[in-house]
Formats: sequence, C-alpha cells, structure tokens
Amino acid sequence: MKIIQTIFDSQRKHFEGSGKLRVLKPLFEATETFFLFPGITAGSGPFVRDSLDLKRFMSFVILALMPPFLFGIYNTGLQSCRVSGLPVDPISVITQGLWIVMPLVMVSYGVGFFWELLFASIRKHPISEGFLVTGLLFPMTLPPAIPLWQVAVGISFGVVIGKEVFGGTGRNIFNPALVGRAFLFFAYPTKMSGDAVWVAVIDPVRKAADAISGATPLACPVSSETGETVVMALEKAGYTLSRLFWGLYPGSIGGTSAFYCLIGAVILILVGVASYRIILGGILGLLGTGLVLNIVAGSSANAWLALPPVYHLIMGGFAFGIVYMATDPVSAPGMENVKWVYGFLIGALTVLIRVFNPAYPEGVMMAILFMNIFSPLLDYIEIGLRLKKRISNV
Amino acid sequence: MISVNVTKGYDLAISGKPSSKLKILKKPDRVAFLPERIPFIIPRLLVKVDDPVKIGSVLFEDKQNTDLKFLSPGSGRVSEINFGPRRVIREIVIELEKQEQYADFRKMTDLEIRTLEKESLIKILMQGGVWPLIRELPFRGIADPKIQPESIWVALGNQEPFQPFPEVYLKGREALFSFGLKILKRFGVPVNVSAPDHLRLQGYDIMITHRVRGHYPAHDPGVILYKTKKSAAENIGWYITGQDLLAIASLMKNGHYPIERIAVMAGSRAQNSGHYQTRVGVPVADMIPGLSSDESCFAGGLLTGYEVNSTSFMGLYETALTCIPKGDQRELFGFLRPGFGKPSFSRTFLSRFRKKPFDMDSGMHGEQRACVNCGSCTKICPVDILPQYTIKCLGADAIEEALAHGLLDCVECGLCSYVCPSKIEIRETLQKARYEYHKEQR
Repeated sequence: MKIIQTIFDSQRKHFEGSGKLRVLKPLFEATETFFLFPGITAGSGPFVRDSLDLKRFMSFVILALMPPFLFGIYNTGLQSCRVSGLPVDPISVITQGLWIVMPLVMVSYGVGFFWELLFASIRKHPISEGFLVTGLLFPMTLPPAIPLWQVAVGISFGVVIGKEVFGGTGRNIFNPALVGRAFLFFAYPTKMSGDAVWVAVIDPVRKAADAISGATPLACPVSSETGETVVMALEKAGYTLSRLFWGLYPGSIGGTSAFYCLIGAVILILVGVASYRIILGGILGLLGTGLVLNIVAGSSANAWLALPPVYHLIMGGFAFGIVYMATDPVSAPGMENVKWVYGFLIGALTVLIRVFNPAYPEGVMMAILFMNIFSPLLDYIEIGLRLKKRISNV
Repeated sequence: MISVNVTKGYDLAISGKPSSKLKILKKPDRVAFLPERIPFIIPRLLVKVDDPVKIGSVLFEDKQNTDLKFLSPGSGRVSEINFGPRRVIREIVIELEKQEQYADFRKMTDLEIRTLEKESLIKILMQGGVWPLIRELPFRGIADPKIQPESIWVALGNQEPFQPFPEVYLKGREALFSFGLKILKRFGVPVNVSAPDHLRLQGYDIMITHRVRGHYPAHDPGVILYKTKKSAAENIGWYITGQDLLAIASLMKNGHYPIERIAVMAGSRAQNSGHYQTRVGVPVADMIPGLSSDESCFAGGLLTGYEVNSTSFMGLYETALTCIPKGDQRELFGFLRPGFGKPSFSRTFLSRFRKKPFDMDSGMHGEQRACVNCGSCTKICPVDILPQYTIKCLGADAIEEALAHGLLDCVECGLCSYVCPSKIEIRETLQKARYEYHKEQR
C-alpha cells in the first residue's frame, strides 16, 4: 500500500499544472483511483456518505457479466474446434476460445478507451466507469468471426456517436454498446448475419471439408409446405430445448446461453444494480406476445407464429439483451412503474421482429434501441401522473 | 391523537450514540452569537467592540425588519466581532464577567397570557429575542409575523445523528411546556405537538397531538406537514423545536432572556459523550477539549449541520456536536472489498448482514460522476420529490417544473446526497434553488 502510494505521489507532478503529461491527467486519475480509493472528505452536508460509488456499481455489472463471458469463451472455442476438426478436450477448447475472444475484447477496450480518454482530456472531466461495462458488453454481442478492424470501427461508433456526442456518460439516449452493434449490423451485414459468421475458424488450412453448418436457431430454415413446425425444424438441426437453454451452439460470443444470463440476472437483482421490473416485464412481454401469436397462428403460412413462446425466451440473444442491455439505467426509464412497460414492450417487439421480419432474425437489439427512444416519453408520462396527485406547494 | 406513518427515509446505522445521562458543563469564559448561521437575515450591528452588554442586550437587528432583534447570550464585554468573506458577520464574541447581569423583560402570568392580543405577543417575543426560534415552512427561515400560518408545529424528536433526546430536555418541565403551548395558542391557529410514537413521558401524553412512526427524517415538521396536509393552503406553517418552546416559555415566566440549553455531545470520537446542561453560544473547545487532526466535528447534526473547529462556537439553533473520524484515508482497491464494515443503503456490501452500528467517517467514499439515473435518491426521499429529475430541471433553469416536483416540500434532510453513488451534491443544489426562490419571493 505504501509503495503504491509513493509511486503515484511521485509521478503526480507530471500530470498536474504545467507538467509535460497534463493532457493525460484523466488517465492518471483513473489509474490512481483504481488502485487507491480516494480519501476525499465531504465538503458540504451531509458529512457522512454512503459507501457505494459508481466504481463499485459498475463492478457488479462486470461481475454479473462473467458467467456468460467465461461460458462464451468456452463455447466459441468448442464450436471452432469442432469445425476445424481439432480435439475437443477442455484445454484446447479454452485455448482456442481465448485465442478468438480475447483479441476482440482487447480491441474493444483499447480503441474505446482511446476515445474515452480523448473526450475526457478535452472536456477536462474524469473517465467514467461506465465504459468498463460498454467495452465488455460490445464484443460479447458480436459473432466470433468478425474482423478486428470492424470491432474497432464498431466500438468507435458506439462510444463517439452513441455516447460522447450527447455529452458523455449519463446523457446518452441509446445504449452505446448496442449503437455500435447496430452500426456494424447495417454497415457490414455479411459479417454480422448469415450462416458463415457464427463460428470462427482460426486455421483455414485445417478446416474440415464437411464442417457443420453455422446456422443459428433463429435463422433455421423451415419448409412450411410439408407442414413442418419450427420446433421440428429446430430439432432436425439439433436444437433441442435443453441445448438452447444451456447454450452450446454457434452464435454471438456472450448471447447463446440463457442459463448463464440467468445467473447474471440473479446477481444483478440481488444486489439491486439492475431493475427486476425491466427483466420480468421483458419476459412477460415476450411470453405474452408469443402466446397471442400462437392463438392467431391458425393455418398461416408463417410457421414462426406457432412457435411456443418459451423458445423465444431461450433462443438467440434475448436473455442477454434483457438482462444486460435493457437494464442500463441511463438509457432505460428512471421511474419505477414504467419500467414494467418498457420491459414489456421490449419483449413484445422482440417477438414481433423475429416473427414478421425475416430480414432481421435477431429482434432484441432493434427492440431495445427502439424502446430507448421512448424511455424519456415513458418517464414524462409517469412523472406527469405522479405530479397530478401531489398537493402543489409554490 | 393522529398517527402519522412515514414509509420512506432511512436511519443511519452509526455508532457513538450518546447516553441519556445529563451532566453539567462548566461556565465558559466567552460565548458568541453567530449571525452567519441564521438564514435569510441581513444583520445591522448595534454594538461595537468593547461595548458592555448584559444577557438580553441587543447585539444586532435585521435590516429587513428592524423589530427583529438578536440578543446577547452573555453578560460582559464584546471582545471580538469577526467577519468572513463579503463582510458577512461570523461571530460576535462576548467575554463573560463573573457576576452576569440580566436585562429585564416583562413577566407574565397564565391569566395575562389568556387575554394577550396576537400583535402584542409578537412584539413581546421580538423584543425578548426569542422570535427567531419560531421558523416557517416551507423556506425554514425565521417566521414572517406578517403572514398568518395555517398551523404551528412543535417537534419533539429528531432522529438525525445525534440530537438531544426529548426525554432528557423535557423531563420534569411539563408545566413550563404547557405554558409555552398556551403562548403559541394566542396566534389563533391549531398548535400541533408531534412526538415519536415510542416516547412515553409523564405529563406530556395529553399535550401530544401527532404520534409519528418512521425512519429519519420522519419527525421533521416539514415531513409531518407533507404527510398530513389536505390542501395547498396548509403549506404555510410555523415550527419550533421542543427545547426552543421551553425557552420562549421561560422568557415569559421569568422575565429573562433564556440562554440555557441542553446540548448533546456524541459520535464515535467524542470523548465525553452525553447530554450537557449548557448555554447558547458556548465555545466548541469547552465541549471537546482536544480535537485531533484525524477527527472532524460537526455542529447541528451530521446530515444538516456544518463543520466546526476548536475555535468555533455553538449557534443559536444548534444543540448537537458530533465527532467522527476524518475520512481522508486512501484505501487499496477500496471499491473491490467485500465491505463488511462499510455501511450502505444499497445491497452491494456484505455489511448488509451486519447488525452492529458502523464507525462512520466523513469521507465521500468515491468521486463525483455524472448521474446515471439509478433512482436511489427517489427511493429514499421522504417527501416524494424526484431528486434525480429535479436537479436536472434546476440545471436547465426550469424552476417551475422543479417546483411542481415539490422543491418547496424538501426538508433539506440530506438523504439524497448521502445515498448518491455518483456523489452529486443534490441537497446543496436543492437548498440553493430554494434560497434563490425565497429571495425572489420577498
């Protein structure tokens, strides 16, 4: 402790006043306060303060991201090893997974951090901890085979256009990680959708000729002429309910497993960092809409209408989106009751996009971004209703 | 009797609770009056350094209402008048003489009170220097005698760490207290006495009109008014603490300017924690003999008070002095620790499972950041303001919207700033806006 304190105290002069590295002051402060929690005393009342700060608040999101992240590394490695014809023992699977995932994470953090530092230096404000979450969330939503330069472009767009142009953390309208993903989705569709991107193959020379198809369950082809249901088609492709739940199938790095997202959700709800209203509202919206579509399905040509709603819940990125993306407090509504509505509509829109829009097999990203736009309106409505009940005092 | 249940708010689990034993503090050499600590007044000095004064001589008046006099809490010689920035009068220090003399005021009997007109009562209280003890809602300054309140509140309880216990300062003084209530009744509006629902005191039960249950700041008159009001007309009220009511009654009964107070010395670093029989304007150094550099001391409570050092004095309103460790220690990986000893409103620390009170320090426990809309302030606010949105309204100068949110219902309890993980000074922002609005309204 003493040594670390001495190191920082001796180097501080370069970053302060007219020191040579004064433009990097936010970087120095961020590093220092990571190691040494600052001992600032309260300048005005109240003179005692809660122990929770934003660093710890955000650390809990990172902690809750660990189960799907670690599983994502394993799953990515496993899919890649299978396709490449490598042995699937745990060590080579994890090595392969780390080999694929870590560069994406490092590029995301590195490039995103550059933008954070640039804006923090110019605006002379500290680096916000929120980026630690964005920088990890973003690569977890990507397909493993994405080129690194696209990760850099995506996170740049997410941080700069999704957040900094609005004034930085706390003022962004959209979830920055999803803005980055949406940008890549529309700018480079061949690398963000289709069958070929969901399994990363490190060594093309050793790629087995009869590699299994990388189609995700949401893009599973259904031949409706034969009266085949989606469930049958999924099972034909090997996607049973339990496999979808545990998540060992090709897909985005962090989003395949509903189970590990559930662990994250439990952590976030227990410590009160994420709103259970949004998560439960989302699940209700998804199941409810799915059921309504089942009822109206009849003999419609669209076989997806009849898909049991529980499949929607565990398929694709919905679990990941509703637990980690929709609960971002900045872009979600702040009032407690409309959080139910916000979550519900995200769930409902996810199903509608998945079922009715074949161009976007994954609906949750669009649903969350769309509802982000509406969250100020939802807040406005609830505040208005609340103030009507209040006895005025002017 | 009316029961009031306040559901929101929060009790800090802080160690250093004082004992309810009453001790007597020795007579100080000097006392002081602190005009700086009285909100909204513009003082005009009526004494110079070296002037002789008695207990109850006029020290200064308010330029906005020259009937409003502030009297000397000691008898002797004015030894110092200290100014702060922009010539604000910090302290008027009086060196006490051995045999103190009292200025004379009119004594009154029960019968005389019963026939007293409101106008002459106001005059007596103003001349007697006790009018500043009556304060007004919603702005919490000294009551304006020209405005008729809808109700008067006598508040017997305050859970802020740490305030004098009502059972200590009320004990055996029920006759004086009831005399005080009779005086207040001459204003011709309902006089409410609110007390904690667990408070049982011989002789007082019959006088209590409101029993209040809930966490801090449930016993604040502003919160009780907010919870009980039925229409906007009831917003204007006057309030007074139990101890200050005893002071008013004592002026009318004895004909002396009342300077006796019971003050509390508490906090984990207070060496002689407990209740003290003392007087207005006592030097802080008399209450805490030696303040070391790793301790901080606050007058008037940890949430709503202000920091003092060993050269300060106690103000007219403050009857609490709290000593806690200074929170200026840096901590290795502080934000990653399990935090069994770290108190928090949230559920992010293991301290959630701890029952024992915490040795809290004066640290911020983090750095200021942008608001991330986490909603903790809204969850804790006892009068249902939406602080996270209200501060944004104020940032955009949308004062009307902030008022609609309930800016004037704010009781300045400080819980919003306490709980904020981004360490935003919400209380300070709201308080400033309230001051500005009050200035405009005058």
